[in-house]
Amino acid sequence: MAQTTAQSLHTAIHTLREELAGAFAAVTTQADAESFRITYLSRNGKVAALFESMKSLPGPDKPVFGKLLNELKKSVEATFAEIASRIEAASASTASRVDLTLPGRTLPLGSIHPVTQTLNEIKSIFVAMGFDIADGPEIEDDYHNFEALNFHPHHPARDMQDTFFVSKDVLLRTHTSPVQIRTMKKQKPPIRTIMPGRVYRNEAISARSYCTFHQVEGLYVDKNVSFSELKGTLVAFAKQFYGSDINYKFRPSYFPFTEPSLEMDISCFLCKGKGCRICKQSGFLEVLGAGMVHPNVLRNVGIDPEEYSGYAFGMGIDRTALLRHGINDIRLLFENDVRFLRQF
Amino acid sequence: MDVDASPDDIAQKLTSAGLEVEAVENLGEKFDKFVVGYVKNVVKHPKADKLSLCDVEIADGAVIRVVCGAPNVAAGQKVPVALVGALIPSNMHDPEGKPFTIARAKIRGEESNGMICAESELGLSQDAAGIMVLKDSARVGMPLSEYLGMDDVAFEIGVTPNRPDCLGHIGVAREIASAYGVPLTLPAAPVTENQNDPVAAAAVVRVENSADCPRYAARVVKNVTIGPSPGWMQDRLTVAGVRPINAVVDVTNYVMLEYNQPLHAFDYDRLAGHTIVVKTALPGEKFTTLDGKERPLPENALMICDAERAVAVAGVMGGQNSEITSATVNILLESAYFNPVSVRKTSKQLGLSTDASYRFERGIDPSATVEAVNRAASLIAEIAGGAVCAGVIDEYPAPVEVKRVRVRPSRVNQILGTAIAPQEITGYFTSIGIGVTSAREDEIECTIPAWRPDIEQEIDLVEEVARLHGFSNIEDKMVSEIDFSNKYVSAATTDRVRTWLADNGFNEIVSNSLLDEATAAMFSDKLVKLMNPISKEQSVMRPNLLVSLLQTVVHNSHYGTDSMRVFEMGRGFTVAHPAETDVVIPGFRERDLTGICLTGKAAAQTWFGAERAVDIFDMKGVVSALLNKIALDKYRFIYYDGQDALTDQRVGVEINGVYAGYFGRVAAEICRKLKIETGVFVAELSFDALDERERVFRQYVPVLKYPVVERDAAFIVANDVPSSSIEATIRESGGILLRSVELFDLFEGKSVGEGMKSVAYALRFASAERTLTETEIEHVMNAVIAAVTTNHRAVLRAVETK
Repeated sequence: MAQTTAQSLHTAIHTLREELAGAFAAVTTQADAESFRITYLSRNGKVAALFESMKSLPGPDKPVFGKLLNELKKSVEATFAEIASRIEAASASTASRVDLTLPGRTLPLGSIHPVTQTLNEIKSIFVAMGFDIADGPEIEDDYHNFEALNFHPHHPARDMQDTFFVSKDVLLRTHTSPVQIRTMKKQKPPIRTIMPGRVYRNEAISARSYCTFHQVEGLYVDKNVSFSELKGTLVAFAKQFYGSDINYKFRPSYFPFTEPSLEMDISCFLCKGKGCRICKQSGFLEVLGAGMVHPNVLRNVGIDPEEYSGYAFGMGIDRTALLRHGINDIRLLFENDVRFLRQF
Repeated sequence: MDVDASPDDIAQKLTSAGLEVEAVENLGEKFDKFVVGYVKNVVKHPKADKLSLCDVEIADGAVIRVVCGAPNVAAGQKVPVALVGALIPSNMHDPEGKPFTIARAKIRGEESNGMICAESELGLSQDAAGIMVLKDSARVGMPLSEYLGMDDVAFEIGVTPNRPDCLGHIGVAREIASAYGVPLTLPAAPVTENQNDPVAAAAVVRVENSADCPRYAARVVKNVTIGPSPGWMQDRLTVAGVRPINAVVDVTNYVMLEYNQPLHAFDYDRLAGHTIVVKTALPGEKFTTLDGKERPLPENALMICDAERAVAVAGVMGGQNSEITSATVNILLESAYFNPVSVRKTSKQLGLSTDASYRFERGIDPSATVEAVNRAASLIAEIAGGAVCAGVIDEYPAPVEVKRVRVRPSRVNQILGTAIAPQEITGYFTSIGIGVTSAREDEIECTIPAWRPDIEQEIDLVEEVARLHGFSNIEDKMVSEIDFSNKYVSAATTDRVRTWLADNGFNEIVSNSLLDEATAAMFSDKLVKLMNPISKEQSVMRPNLLVSLLQTVVHNSHYGTDSMRVFEMGRGFTVAHPAETDVVIPGFRERDLTGICLTGKAAAQTWFGAERAVDIFDMKGVVSALLNKIALDKYRFIYYDGQDALTDQRVGVEINGVYAGYFGRVAAEICRKLKIETGVFVAELSFDALDERERVFRQYVPVLKYPVVERDAAFIVANDVPSSSIEATIRESGGILLRSVELFDLFEGKSVGEGMKSVAYALRFASAERTLTETEIEHVMNAVIAAVTTNHRAVLRAVETK
């Protein structure tokens, strides 16, 4: 082995430095990195060889070159580590590339029936006003469905509600109003209750009518309950439910179990009152019927009409659900086509 | 009545008074663009012999050229002219008489800007012989509808059952007069009578059933001519929806529409003994009504008879044996007040509702009986000729009492929430004919006119005040007091169940609770049947929700949807034994149920996994999770062997120790009958046993602070040993340190031997107080293994430490 001199080691270091610049640039793959490591940084690599040749330097030169070589080694190792980690990161991301546009693992989507959604909203408004919720049987007797509600047996108003009978005196309730009677018989005033439920009418099934549908009934009996308050409550409800920008009007109407009776019309929320097919160009929709509980009804349930007064109201839910969701055929509500239900 | 207001304003006033105007028809509209014209000049068409060129003045100074084909057109005539854009209702040159619109045209080279019309072209008569020539007095340019007196407006009003008085024009007029504060004058009915022919000698009326016929009035008119009624009467009847027949019948209908008093005209000469007897039908009696149908008479039907036989069903329909025919010469007019309930019963039982019965059963005005018959006799004499016998028969055995009702102004204001002065209240009453006999500050006494049968008590007068005052003049008050005494609890469980199911991928359905008997009978032998169904398809009530769920599966399969997760919350209905007292309506039971249905694929074929069909464990998982969430673990499953009529795999559910339903696989036989090809898994649950008011809050259990140690243990055991019983043994023998047991592997096969299975459980041990030692765990594991191997004749296959 040739004698190492300070001069020759200097030259060797310089040569290696120049060589390294090119070698680093050539490292692009993991295989390159590995061959670089073997060539330069392994036990028999070129850096180690310089340390080896330093051993034969004259004594006083050794610490100088030792420091020089250590710095070189550190710098090469650091640069190499950086390059190697960059290559590794690049290759790792190639190996694990994912098509994020693939569909996700789905969860089944359920739905609440539009009639229930509509009812839930109505319920929540009245519950917030302090109304309780009550229910009664769908198979009802004539007394609760008609007689106690001031429809005497030959009352022409019975014609307004085509009735299904299961026996002479037992029928499918034609409205939720019998629950008023049941509630007032069970409970003493103050009574503040809404009564949602399913009702039946003996009508041929068509796009516009169905033999069963849903109503929600309200009842408030206490001292000094007035017609004025009934109107106020209905306006408050309508503004919550249909929107605060609606117009409304009240018309006198007739129900045997309330007097005075009214019907409430609100400006059509589809055309904003301009007139459309749904509101028959009138700009208004009939939404509910109401009135002051008839004194005969109060007497029938043992409440003194001189001491107490009350109001009652009722509305259909299905037709409202149709309007809200733009459904043009009531039969769709009861056919339960899953492709229909999934839309809500 | 003199009212100066637009039709829309009148409609709005009527609606606010409780007479809802459903439609307003402008009758003159069909004569839009038809005017009165003056023919100034007529010359022959140069190229057509039968046509003339007419110069017609259609407004002051405005002249148009019209080509006319009518032979009778001549200068100096006033004629009806259809201008460009007018719709001719009937084209006489079209074989089907189709309507057409007038356009500017050239006829044989000559310009024509309109049409001079014949009566047939205007739809006024069949006369097509030539153009219609108008009276000289007609003003040029006047709308034709005005000339014809057909510029009227028809209001269609929905009359509620409490206002029978408004089924007549006078009743509606009374409301309009009140609304505009103008006086109302009723039509005068002066009858010119033949004093030589007193009615007392001409006819006899005897009322035998005065309860059902409180009043019966009659007049006799002799020597009438049966012909058509005048055009104005026919037009008015037609607008009101009544078909014109002949002058006599038309007058009875016309007066009915005016006074709301149904009238009947008998052929006087066909009444035996010229006698009317009002009495109850004999049992088994039959009668031929004037529609030609022979009808068995219901018991207690009130009949109008002559000296020998029945001639009309009182208040419903006349008889063929005494009807007016073209041969009729003398007539007897009936104007009666019949008992509303009696007429309604007879009409219902006959299944025959007429304009007359509709009015009688709602209650007509018993005080207008004579006035109406006078009006009819006078009109008949006027338009059908004839002489009216002197006098009117008025049998009034049971006079209807004048009702007196008191109303307190303070009560009015309390009920309405208003402050209306007593004078204002009496003003409203008198405006609609309610008499005020005394008015004090604290009480007003009223006499109720006989045409208002609906007013019986104070509240009825409160209503009159409300509607006449105007609902819009009553303030919308809202009591601000919020009352929290009521707790919203009753519906909370169903709301929670519904939300949970929808959130977990189930679609809520709402089904018809009526269905056909054959299908329903597969599910119950206690069906509730309708006495009067609309059709066979909706003739019984559903006994449970299972049938609705399956009908939904069937319906959807028709549209290619075979996989479904749906639920319904509703009722099932069955008949109950009379001895069952826990029902609301004796003999009928209603149950609030939640029905859940899974069918088709649990998972579809996707890019990450294979498809899998739903099985019973999907449903078990749903029910377990739902009950854990809703029923706070207070439930238990009961495993049944074998099958029943509805299911061939079935697990019972108990909540709080009470049977609460089941889940299972629908029996193959049921699916076959309903043509369902996939397996259907259902649950029907009742949450009645969960009393929401007793709902307790879940109590916190401290989470573990010390490490959990896991051990797996696998056993080989006979394959008829239930997994749940092995699990129970493990729990019991594992003691307090065993925190959980989970079956994680299950298989059968040659490697474990015939009739055997391998079950592997993951056991987790921990203590709340310290870290467990190996020895402690070893000790418990040995106890577990010993218990399983002895209790279930199991062989330990492996134990593994994790």
